[in-house]
Amino acid sequence: MEPFLGANIWEMMHGGSTHLPIALMLVSAGFDGLGCFVRPDRLRDQFHAAGLFTLIAGTLGAFPAVLSGLILARWEIGGTGALFWHHVFLWPAFGLLIALSVWRIIVRGRRSKSGLVIYLMAAFIAAFLVSAAGFWGGEIVLGGS
Amino acid sequence: MKRTFIGLEFIAALIAVVVASAVVWGTLWSAGLVRAAVEKARSEAAAANKSPAQLPPVVAHGQKLFAVNCSHCHADDATGDEGPDLHGLTKSDERIKAIITNGVKGEMPSFGKKLQEEDKEALVQFLRSLG
Repeated sequence: MEPFLGANIWEMMHGGSTHLPIALMLVSAGFDGLGCFVRPDRLRDQFHAAGLFTLIAGTLGAFPAVLSGLILARWEIGGTGALFWHHVFLWPAFGLLIALSVWRIIVRGRRSKSGLVIYLMAAFIAAFLVSAAGFWGGEIVLGGS
Repeated sequence: MKRTFIGLEFIAALIAVVVASAVVWGTLWSAGLVRAAVEKARSEAAAANKSPAQLPPVVAHGQKLFAVNCSHCHADDATGDEGPDLHGLTKSDERIKAIITNGVKGEMPSFGKKLQEEDKEALVQFLRSLG
């Protein structure tokens, strides 16, 4: 059964909507990582603020990416081959993006040093997971070509 | 005031885990429901499909080739097993033939030596007939 509106429209929408969240998550982790090293404090806060807003934008952007991907894959949440590996990295990445955003929104600037270290580790894991999901997404489209 | 990790950050982490779990599991659960409905509609449509005798010759030939060469991994009804579901393919005929000919590294063997050009065309026509 053909996906609603045909597979092509969802293929284009998925391709168009996935790259922004991937890029924003990477940039967010980068901003927060750099924010630990820069001086003075005002500039450091600006880096962390940039990290927060890029993270939230990336998380919001992940929802249309996931929805269009599910429609394109005919609501398959596992699959085989490259699709399976895409999903293996995608679902933890999606959950981690949401968790990080919620945590940052609640805590804002009231975090401790240990809290920041744990957050940064989780952010870099999320950046790795979205990158790996993107890699296997590329393998679905271009693999074997 | 001394900032400690136990406190606001811990409660925020708990809330974050609960929200993220709810969203992800909700997404997976919803997708499962929709997929089940789609599968049901597909099986009903398949039940109403034509028998091989009613198919055009080239499609019937492709169906036979599929049963011998492809159904082991893609399932008898081409809905996917080890290999992916082949209904509603969006790739071009030439791209499908290229995949049949060359295979997919680590995932699918090549059939370039086994199948002739007209066999590949018949397979493509059969796959197109699946809808």
